[in-house]
Amino acid sequence: MVSPAIALAFLPLVLTLIIRYRHYFVLFYRAVLVRIWKDCATGLSREERVYQYVLTHSTPGDPDSILEAFDFWCSKVEYISNIGPKKGKILDRLLMEQSPLTVLELGSHCGYSTIRIARALPLGARLYSIEMDQRNAAIAEKIIRLAGFDDDTVELIVKPSDEVIPQMRSNYGLERLDFVFMDHWKKCYLPDLQLLEECGLLGKGSMILADNVLFPGAPKFLRYLRKCGLYEWKIHRATLEYSRGIRDGMAELVYQGIK
Amino acid sequence: MNKNILTAGDKDFLEESENEHKKKKRDSTREKRRRRNGRRKRSSSSAEGEKELKERSDYKDREKPLCYGSMAIFNLSSEQETSEEEDDKETNDDDEVRPECLSPEELEKLKEAVEEKKKLIQSLKGKPWPMKKKLVTLRESQEFVEKYEGALGKGKGRKLYAYKVMMTKKWVKFQRDFENFKTACIPWEMKIKEIESHFGSSVASYFIFLRWMYGINMILFGLTFGLVMVPEALMGRPYGSIPRKTVPRAEEASAMDFAVLWDFKGYAQYSVLFYGFYNNQRAVGWLKFRMPLSYFLVGVGTVAYSYMVVIRTMARNANESGIGDDNSFNFSWKMFTSWDYLIGNPETADNKFASITTSFKEAILEEQESRKDDNIHLTRFLRVLANFLVLCCLAGSGYLIYFVVRRSQKFTLEGLENHTWWERNEVNMVMSLLGMFCPMLFDVISTLENYHPRVALQWQLGRIFALFLGNLYTFIIALMDEINLKRKEETIVKFNITTWETSLYNSSMSGNVTAPPVTIHPADVPRGPCWETMVGQEFVRLIISDTMTTYITLLIGDFLRAVLVRFLNYCWCWDLEAGFPSYSEFDVSGNVLGLIFNQGMIWMGSFYAPCLPALNVLRLHVSMYLQCWAVMCCNVPQERVFKASGSNNFYMAMLLVILFLSTLPAIYTIVTIPPSFDCGPFSGKNRMFDVIQETLESDFPAWFSKVFSYASNPGLVLPFILLMVLAIYYLQSTSKSYKEANVELKKKLQMQNEENKKKNKQAALKAQMDLEEARKAATQAAEHRRNNNASFQSQEGEIHNSYSIIIPILILQQQQQQLLLLLLLLLLLLVLLLLLLLIIIILITIITIFSLTKCLYI
Repeated sequence: MVSPAIALAFLPLVLTLIIRYRHYFVLFYRAVLVRIWKDCATGLSREERVYQYVLTHSTPGDPDSILEAFDFWCSKVEYISNIGPKKGKILDRLLMEQSPLTVLELGSHCGYSTIRIARALPLGARLYSIEMDQRNAAIAEKIIRLAGFDDDTVELIVKPSDEVIPQMRSNYGLERLDFVFMDHWKKCYLPDLQLLEECGLLGKGSMILADNVLFPGAPKFLRYLRKCGLYEWKIHRATLEYSRGIRDGMAELVYQGIK
Repeated sequence: MNKNILTAGDKDFLEESENEHKKKKRDSTREKRRRRNGRRKRSSSSAEGEKELKERSDYKDREKPLCYGSMAIFNLSSEQETSEEEDDKETNDDDEVRPECLSPEELEKLKEAVEEKKKLIQSLKGKPWPMKKKLVTLRESQEFVEKYEGALGKGKGRKLYAYKVMMTKKWVKFQRDFENFKTACIPWEMKIKEIESHFGSSVASYFIFLRWMYGINMILFGLTFGLVMVPEALMGRPYGSIPRKTVPRAEEASAMDFAVLWDFKGYAQYSVLFYGFYNNQRAVGWLKFRMPLSYFLVGVGTVAYSYMVVIRTMARNANESGIGDDNSFNFSWKMFTSWDYLIGNPETADNKFASITTSFKEAILEEQESRKDDNIHLTRFLRVLANFLVLCCLAGSGYLIYFVVRRSQKFTLEGLENHTWWERNEVNMVMSLLGMFCPMLFDVISTLENYHPRVALQWQLGRIFALFLGNLYTFIIALMDEINLKRKEETIVKFNITTWETSLYNSSMSGNVTAPPVTIHPADVPRGPCWETMVGQEFVRLIISDTMTTYITLLIGDFLRAVLVRFLNYCWCWDLEAGFPSYSEFDVSGNVLGLIFNQGMIWMGSFYAPCLPALNVLRLHVSMYLQCWAVMCCNVPQERVFKASGSNNFYMAMLLVILFLSTLPAIYTIVTIPPSFDCGPFSGKNRMFDVIQETLESDFPAWFSKVFSYASNPGLVLPFILLMVLAIYYLQSTSKSYKEANVELKKKLQMQNEENKKKNKQAALKAQMDLEEARKAATQAAEHRRNNNASFQSQEGEIHNSYSIIIPILILQQQQQQLLLLLLLLLLLLVLLLLLLLIIIILITIITIFSLTKCLYI
């Protein structure tokens, strides 16, 4: 039997762990516990809840107000890992600088980042957004249409990314992607990037932006970037969306081609 | 040198222009060679490519004249090559020269060239060339010298020369090997160097400190082992001869159990390892070894030796760290001194690079912030809050230890056998755990304060120091309580023994008078609770449990974590290596403090347990290997690699404080508490230091003790102390004035430096004017001989020439300043050293005098 004094001696350790990793605990609480609780209480999925909120709290046809409603809901009510306002600004800036004509988005989830990208696109540009999950895609579709983007601007493809990418050229008549935004499963970053390379969808100067490369993190992806030498790349350091203490980053890659 | 080169280049140039008729021929041979080269390189042999190649090689040739020798050789070789047959013979190396077929003049030339090269190598460091060029020139000239040095001279002389050259080479090689051998002889040098290259000098400084500690402990171990343990074991009475050397009857059954031995009871307690085993026989063995005296003197000697070593090392280190405290040129210091040249690992280099950039950023921010007023109230409040929290933490930990110690006393009164292992080892466990976890909490709290990392580190060290000290002193106070308890028990036991003895005597007397007296086995004799052994046991247990916790945390916190992170990373939903658990960093400050406090415990306890230095040597040895391995296999380089050169003396100062604080209780117990009546070398005496008096009376001639008693007369001692105090005061005031003088001189030097700068600026301006003129002249000259393409060299040479005037002046001035500064510093240090020594002498004398006067009055 361990004596209580020895157990008390562990108190500083516990305190240290709690204080040091408080952001992670808060994140765990907001992203997992609250979600489970609300799922049980309301019977709706998280995405449906956010859709309801956005529907009632924003102006239809106005992307800015929809984004604002999203941000408010994600930071104050519940938690959804969208790109968030801070990292979104980086995304906006890059899009403004590039002004790409064909954009591919991997993982649209609820459509937050889709709206963000579509808002910043020049006239005549086209955004292909890929979402694997059927239910998420349905909500994303509704939200995108709510923001006022039609089929010509945003095309939502409901399929896994590794199936869609090889068919892009044949099915959608694409020659080259100017901008790719990755925000789906972190494990798929590397295989999808390699798929894009194989299919020849990347041209010189194509930009790829990968979110969440530090937390939850895509180590293999980063290792590949360091080694392969095909890209000019850098990491924009920021914090995780809707949370202050957790460091995260977005990897910005510019395809250089084989020298 | 530059002039030589210049003239050489010019000469070459002249030669070239004169021998224009030769040039064609040479060119043709060159082209042939080039073609051969081209074939070797498998490059395309198209006309354009060849042209390009030719141009490039021409350019090369043009650059070459800077190294005169190679050009000379080139000329030689090219002259040689004019005959086609020889040209064909030569395969790879273009510069191949056979000394046999050279005429004496050419040989002379070659010799000159070699000498020239040697000079060039020597003076290369000071040349104002880019590094690339320097490296290339160095390599070329070294190759050249190597090639042709042995080939000079002729006939017998040549052989002798070659022999000499060979021997010098061998000698150099032998010297280098010997150096390597010497470093290989330093224990763990290679290991530490490897760590240094991976983790920077701060981590290596810990290991160097560990090694130093190991050396000291070796000497302490030698003293106690050679002068106390071995004589007692060999020459003293054997085990089982007297009560204090036998296990009592009640404990005999379990005396050999591992659990008992692990607690240092049973046979371990009744052995040379502890104080109680030693007999109070004045002289042992045929050597008449004065055992109690030796025991006492070794106890005092270890402490005195430790003081001496620590202070000597401090003085030596102070020499090195005295220069870096200047804060007036913050950015210059950062710019020129922040790189750690011992780093040999790319990852660490990256980290170091990042840390330097961040330190620059921070310094700039600091500079900006110092100009504007921030919200100082908030930071002040946060700092006060942090300190309050830390104080709460310290108080809590102190109370917990006090509580545990009280509880353990209760347990001992009830009898330890009724309690579990956990409860018996509660004190040690709690102390180790608190010592391990509280620093982490402090670290977390210190993020509130928003200090500069260096300041934060100092605060952190101070807090951990306070924590450890508090823990240690709580422990000692608890021990004091226990000693008092034991002494009360002792008086009772003493009374009991006398009654027991009288009853024994009576029983033997009452029976038959002629019958032989009853012999009692020493195990059956009742004995007192030997408090000295108890203290020794407590310290040994503390050391053991501390060591165990260190190793276990190493294995769990570092190794297991590293294994988990490494192998779970393949199947985990986030990046374990870069994200949350990550690999651990090596905690220099915590480890150093642990080591220091461990040493403090050794110093405190070694009087009552002579085995402690031996245990510590073992521990340090093991932890050297274990930590070296753990660092290399499970730790990552720190994110902020900081230089350790300044912190060495900080560690030493802490060690000194700990040494003082740990000798304090030991001396207190020795001086104030009478030793146990039936155990240890001082049994039967009133105080432990009575040994000295006894020795003085019986072993020295009468006049000596008389002189000693006169010398220790307060009437003589007090004036002496007064004199010392005066001397110290005098030295201190002089050192102060020296310091002031130093500051003044520094200012003066700065002023002078500024003036010199102005002068130099003027000189540089003048030089620039000259340069411009020279350039003009050169361009004019170049216009004259544009077709020769050689103006380029002379220009360059001119530039070097003018630079070479300015730079030596600067270097000379700097050297002078440095010399002056160094001298001053040396002076200052000497004074400080004297001061410190005096303080120590006074301390020691005060202690001895105190004790002596006391014993005189007793």
